[in-house]
Order: sequence, then C-alpha cells, then structure tokens
Amino acid sequence: MNTSKPVAASLAVLGYIIMIVPILFVVATAFTSGSTLRFPPEGFSFQWFEAALDYAPFTGALFTSLQLAVCSTALALAVGVPATLAIHRGSLPGKGLVEGLFLSPLIIPELVVGLALYQQLIITFRIDNFPVLLLGHTALLLPYAVRVTGAALAGSDVSLEEASRGLGASPIRTFFSITLPMLRPGIFSAALLGFVTSFNNVPLSLLLQSRESSTLPVTMLDYVQQNYDPMVAAISTLILAATVVVAVVAERTVGFAKIFGGINR
Amino acid sequence: MTRRGTVALLLIPGLAFLLIGFLVPALGILFAAPGANTMDIFARVGTMFTDPYDLRIIGRTIGLGLIVTVLCVVLGFPIAYLLARSTSRWAGILLALAIFPLLLSNVVRTFGWLVVLGSNGALGQLLTWLGITDSPPQLLYTPFAIVMGLTQLFLPLAIVSCYSAVSQIDAGLDDAARGLGASKLRTFWDLVVPLAAPGIVVAATLVFAGSVTAYTTPYLLGGSRQRMLATELFSYSSVTVDWVSASATAIVMTLLVVAVSVTAARIGRKGSVS
Repeated sequence: MNTSKPVAASLAVLGYIIMIVPILFVVATAFTSGSTLRFPPEGFSFQWFEAALDYAPFTGALFTSLQLAVCSTALALAVGVPATLAIHRGSLPGKGLVEGLFLSPLIIPELVVGLALYQQLIITFRIDNFPVLLLGHTALLLPYAVRVTGAALAGSDVSLEEASRGLGASPIRTFFSITLPMLRPGIFSAALLGFVTSFNNVPLSLLLQSRESSTLPVTMLDYVQQNYDPMVAAISTLILAATVVVAVVAERTVGFAKIFGGINR
Repeated sequence: MTRRGTVALLLIPGLAFLLIGFLVPALGILFAAPGANTMDIFARVGTMFTDPYDLRIIGRTIGLGLIVTVLCVVLGFPIAYLLARSTSRWAGILLALAIFPLLLSNVVRTFGWLVVLGSNGALGQLLTWLGITDSPPQLLYTPFAIVMGLTQLFLPLAIVSCYSAVSQIDAGLDDAARGLGASKLRTFWDLVVPLAAPGIVVAATLVFAGSVTAYTTPYLLGGSRQRMLATELFSYSSVTVDWVSASATAIVMTLLVVAVSVTAARIGRKGSVS
C-alpha cells in the first residue's frame, strides 16, 4: 500500500482488522482443549471438532441445508434461465417491467418475506415446512439467476444465433449448440452464488424451519444462545474451510471478484 | 407454436414461483394476516410511531444503522481507493481478502465477536492488561457490539461499490490536478470524492438497508437488552404470536428500506444529470 497517505492507510488497516480479526479468533478458539470461549485458548486439541461432528442436530441440519441449497439453486436456474431468455431474446413489450418483477424480491427484507410465507403458507394453508423453505429460497435466488445469466446473455452476440437459424438449425438445436454454451459461465456463476446464498441464509429460514427441517445457520444460532462452549467455533472453522475451497474454485473458473463483487479486474 | 406462445411458456414457470413464493404472500402481510384485520394493522403501524417503547426500537434501529453506514463508508472508501490506485501485486490479494467475507456465513462472522467481546474475551482482557479498566468491562449486549458486528458484515459491500466507482475514474485526472498545483488533499476532496459520489451513495444505501433489517447481529450481540426491529419482528411472530404487531413491524421495516432506496436512486439520478 501507498505509505504517502497516512490517514487513508490507517483507516484501511482498521477496516481490515474489523473484517478479518474476529474470524481468526474463531479459528483459534476451535482448537482449544478447554471448555469455554476463553482467550487465549487453553491447550490444543481436536475434541470440539469431534464433538461437533458427533452432535446430531448439527449433522442433521447440515444435511437439510445442503439439500435445500442444491434444490433451490437448481429450481431457480430451471425457471430463471428460460425467463432470462424470454426477457433478452423474446422482444417482450414490457421488458423492463418483467425484469423488474424478477428482481423485486431483492427490495423486500428477507425477514419480511419469511414472515409472509410463514403467515400465509404454513399458518393459513398448513403446508409442510420443507416445501415452503424450498419455495422461499427459490424465490430469493431467482433475482440472482436472472441478473447473472442475463449479464452473460447481454454480453453475447445475437447474430450467432441468427446465423444458426439461417443455416437451417431448429430453435432447439440452436439453443443447445449456440445459446447454452454462451450462457455457461453465467449459469456457473449464478449456481455458485445461489448455493452460497441459500446455504448461509438466516432471515428467510428463521420462521419457516421446524425441528425436523432446521437449517445449519439457524441451528448454530440456537446453540450459541444456550451453550457457551467452543463447539460452534469448531463447526464455524469447518464452514470457513469449505468457503475457502468454494472461493478458490470460483477464482480458478470464472474469477472470484467478478462473481461476488461484479468487478472486472 | 407462435413466437408469442413460446415466450409466454418460458416466462410462466418463473412468474408462478414469484407469485406464490413472494408477491402474493407479501401482500398477505397487510391484507390477510391470520386472525387480524387490515384496519388493526394500519392502526398498529400508527401506534408504532407514538408508543415510547416502539419508538425507542425504531430510533435505535435507525440510529445504529446510520452509525454503521458512516463507519462503512469512512473505512471502506479508503480501502477501495488505495486498492484501485495501487499497482502492487498485493492489491489483488487484499481485494480478494475484502470480498471473501461476502461468501462466508454471517453466523460465523458474527460469532467471532462473541469470542472477542465476551466476558473472558480478548478485547476485555487486553483493556484490563493495559490498565485502562480494572476488570473486563461489559462489551457484549451493548450498542458498541452491534455496531462492530454490523460494520464487519457490511464493510465488504461498501468496498465493492466504492471500488467499482473509483476504478472508473481515470488516474490521469489525479496527475493532472496535482500537476496544476492542487494539493493531495484538495485532489482527493475536489476530484476523487465528487466523481466517486454515485458509488458512495450506492454503498451507503446497501449498508443502511442491510443494517436496519439484519437479524443475526442484534440477536447474538445485542441480546434482549438491545432490541432492534428485526428481533422484535421475530419475537412478535414466534414468541408472543401477535400477528398484528408482527405485520406492522414488517411494514415499518419495509417502508424504511424502500424510502431510503428510492431517495438514493433520486440522488443518483440528479448526480448523473448535473
């Protein structure tokens, strides 16, 4: 960093401390052999990792969260990609309006969407928790699916598709051999973003989950509220490790800053 | 099949998900809350702005949201500026380090503050060791804890928005201003900041909207002493099961976010015209 700007540099250092240091403390606490969140940790052991992986509510919730993230991402792409095609290639009369409609879940606070689905679908219509969670997560991911794949489509050349049709290929063949390959990076980015967004979600899942379909982040919140031991530090460290893997995969494939920051570097 | 038919067929599944999974239930908050009628909900929205208890919660939510917004811009803009202007190969790594937290679970990130601010935590012990306090002070369940937690959560968003704005400004302009005799400080305030203003407005809007609707942070770091709108909404819906108050809180929260977003969009448009 440029040391000729001392004020900016000190603010920047403070910013990095606030962003990163608490995460380092989580990792340090996870390896303690003591039984409290005391710092510095007392001794070194893997006991809290073993405890976390043996704790049935965590493993059950992990399974639910993975299932939910995979299914909602797949569903959001399955209905979002065709919608994106219609928006960008369908010469729609109210294109802006339709696109706005697909982006609208971003404006309303997730906790409010959760309350809405809880009141209407679970209380009034008595639908089971998991299908409502899946519906809610899919609606939450739709804006990402439509925006990210839309950006890939907007940056691609329509004339390739027109040439394919002009040379006699059917619309279906054109889609699979021309449009889909152009969309692939967008679909991959949207899938990664969708999976992470769903897996980490708290506000939407909070009211919609039940004891049988509890998600991992919400189960961790409940656990922390009742127990003051390093087990959550251990599971947090495992999540951190998995997230680093996701980040590296993202960087190697489409570029990490591009997906998560919309930054072209 | 006609072209129009194909387009409709492509749109219908997505629209169905939006209607059932979002739009219709969202309207239900106002018009079809279980066992509550719309007039009661409207009246409750009114009392939220007169009842001292509700007002304190709305005030705390907005107040902490504003503090976090200012902090994120004041800390995030210099980071974005230094990274965007740096030619060092470390800049790429530091940028990745600033964006990475966006991927990481909010629960994991917020949990870190429990370890730092808890009664046996690092910060309390450091303050005692330095002789600033006699015994570790109460840091958790205070407004300070919430501000720290929310700043950590939303700083990456502020950095990303500011970075995009700063990297679009031609670095040659800085040199030109300096060459014409402007001081470093003057170049920064009179050139870089005005040109990056739209990005700063976007950053501030995202941070404020995120802060006033966040649940995890006030729940873990504020506890029952520092209630905010989000924790109130949850307790009305699943502890006291007061649907009128739950709906009213949801409406106030939504209005707050929408009002700020619309104002920011106006400012953004005005900025781009002048």
